[in-house]
Amino acid sequence: MRRLDFPNGPLFGRRAVLGLTLTPLLFGAARADEEAAKMPPQPDDRFVFLTGPKKGQVTQIDDLPLGGPQVQAYPVSQDGTVRNETPLNLVILTRFDPAGLSEETRARSAAGVVAYSGVCTHQGCAVNMWSKDRDAFVCSCHGSVYDPRNGAEVLAGPAPRPLPSLALKPADGAVAVASAFSGRVGGTQK
Amino acid sequence: MHCKRINLKRRSLLTGACFAAFVFAGAAGSACASDYTPVTDARLANPEPGNWLMTRGNYKGWSYSALDQINTGNVKNLVPVWSFSTGVDSGHESPPIVNNGVMFVTTPYTQVIALDAASGNLLWRYKRKLPEGFSALHNTNRGVALYDDKVYVAGLDAVLVALDAKTGKVVWETPVEDWKTGYYMTMAPLIVKGKVLIGVAGGEFGVRGFVEAFDAKTGKSAWKTYTIPAPGEPGSETWQKADTWKTGGGGTWMTGNYDPDTNTVFWGVGNASPWFGDQRPGDNLYTSSTLALDGDTGKIKGYFQYHQNESWDWDEMNAPMLVDFQDGGSATKGLFKPARNGYLYWLKRNPDGSISYLRSEGYVPQNVFKSIDKVTGRPEIDMAHKPATGKAAQFCPGLWGGKDWPYEAYNPKTGLVYIPSNENHCNTLEGKVEERVPGQWWTGVAIPDLHFSVDTKAAFYGELQAYDVNTGQRVWRDLYSGSMMWGSPLTTAGGLVFAGGTNDREFRAYDARTGEQLWQFKTNSGIIAPPSTFEVNGVQYVAVQSGYGVDAAFQEGLMSELVGWQKDVPQGGVVWVFAVSK
Ligand code: FES
Repeated sequence: MRRLDFPNGPLFGRRAVLGLTLTPLLFGAARADEEAAKMPPQPDDRFVFLTGPKKGQVTQIDDLPLGGPQVQAYPVSQDGTVRNETPLNLVILTRFDPAGLSEETRARSAAGVVAYSGVCTHQGCAVNMWSKDRDAFVCSCHGSVYDPRNGAEVLAGPAPRPLPSLALKPADGAVAVASAFSGRVGGTQK
Repeated sequence: MHCKRINLKRRSLLTGACFAAFVFAGAAGSACASDYTPVTDARLANPEPGNWLMTRGNYKGWSYSALDQINTGNVKNLVPVWSFSTGVDSGHESPPIVNNGVMFVTTPYTQVIALDAASGNLLWRYKRKLPEGFSALHNTNRGVALYDDKVYVAGLDAVLVALDAKTGKVVWETPVEDWKTGYYMTMAPLIVKGKVLIGVAGGEFGVRGFVEAFDAKTGKSAWKTYTIPAPGEPGSETWQKADTWKTGGGGTWMTGNYDPDTNTVFWGVGNASPWFGDQRPGDNLYTSSTLALDGDTGKIKGYFQYHQNESWDWDEMNAPMLVDFQDGGSATKGLFKPARNGYLYWLKRNPDGSISYLRSEGYVPQNVFKSIDKVTGRPEIDMAHKPATGKAAQFCPGLWGGKDWPYEAYNPKTGLVYIPSNENHCNTLEGKVEERVPGQWWTGVAIPDLHFSVDTKAAFYGELQAYDVNTGQRVWRDLYSGSMMWGSPLTTAGGLVFAGGTNDREFRAYDARTGEQLWQFKTNSGIIAPPSTFEVNGVQYVAVQSGYGVDAAFQEGLMSELVGWQKDVPQGGVVWVFAVSK
């Protein structure tokens, strides 16, 4: 988990803070942080990049390449807590021309940006690959293909159900969470 | 036959209702976990023919049984005696391990099921609770190890678990690594003189592989040997670019074999990571090698590297078999390995535990090696078929190799080795430099860009081949025109070879000398697990799990697109046990 000065300030680690002052009060604060970092995305959360040159920074709409591929991100609370204590909070963000989105997907998007759980519904691997041929998300483990323009419906592969989506709203050049995940996040184990 | 202590309620209903008794002469035994026979070093070194105490049947890795009650004369009368549904989907890759009438099988997601080997009655079941948010590329498990009165299983979440063989209760658990960083475990542990040896998977995630030994009684770590040397250690000079060793792969995801005479463990090492060698210049020891380790300390006594600067995802994770063969007219204590790179290797076990190269020859067509040095065994690479960063190259066989993880088998009565292999397939890869996220795929190429291809006019793809271990002559083969081959053969003193491995769900028996198919049975799913054989109360049984999935299913999906094979081989695990009908 990381905390950051919202929205674009420098990052500092929770553990680094602990290293400076080991007071019971801070332990309490750290516990609260940890709880916050495990919580699923909350309304008004924004997102920070997991990878790339802007790693750790808040994702702005203009940062997202039009038409894909997706970027991997974690939700970040308004007070700067990055909710990355569980891999189940991994989110993939992609920007499209809104005209190309299905009606339902468009209704959940903001400025053409769509957000889905990045955790494959097959067995929980990261959906962090992009197929140019199919213009779609691909899971990194067994190649399930999801349609980003239509509710992340499964186009191919072993995934049993679409990726849960997050409804978004615009927030000063970024996007923010408008509602909770549309379904249960994570893989399916039989 | 009466079990008083174990699962009394459930068993009391079934006591005496031994299905086997209806069909077979001789009283079918009903094993009681309560009088479980402890497994000792002596028993592991010399397993009784009636038991199947470890994955490949013996420390030499032969997948051979001296039982001959089922033989070429009567195998046509083989019928199922009992079956058991595991209730689990995906790839079942573990052989039934049997100790005096008690059978242990494992399933994907790390379940262990103990069964009465003659009746099929459930004794107990262990289900590992995997952590929230857990994921693994391969969710399978390849079987238990037995020692004393315990059963050892490698948890998918990189935790080693010891269970009480009588009850299935956890005796101890030892975390081996942090699964969040990409490590996971799928192999069967190997028992060596009171220690439980394990290896790790994660070569697609940029881990640093190792073999680790734990005290069988306490679960405490006894030694740990990395497959990739740290700076300053011997071999570190083969990692020429700073820090590449830290994420260099070298998974150890298949069980090793063991030579008690020299106290040497032979363990296979997987691909280097990321997949493209130009990102980690040097030979990259000990990736794609066999390591010879001291059984007490884990110290590296020797090694043989099959190909340097690995760039084809050709893991050499399977340990070679310990076979004494003829070389240059003299009997040689040897190692024999059909490598994933498409070549057969004859190696020598030296008295000090080190390994020398003797000879090699291709067992499937391969277009990467121009030649192999007669003294060192080092291949000369055709760079046109070596993919690199920003340079696409096609290579054959493709990344699943001439043979992937399924085991070969050796029959000392025929002198033949039986090799499950695949031909007429290739990959074209082009590397990219990728940022590593711990726990995520990190090979330098994305799944949609693996470009698997086949010769669509080929007469066959999968095959079972038999080679004379002394001469290197191919004696027979069975070609599968409509399937790949993902089955590990079992061979017996009854002159038989049993194997599944095809997408048509068949379990087959062949004449071990001629390759003539003598029997077949269509199971519930595709068989990718190794068969085993055992005896209870004088009756020989053959057992196998059928449950298709993992790479076989993924490849089948690609073949459905390329040549129209059926896309969905039915899934779901079932243990099948067969015997000869009288
Ligand atoms: S975990 Fe995504 S396809 Fe299997």
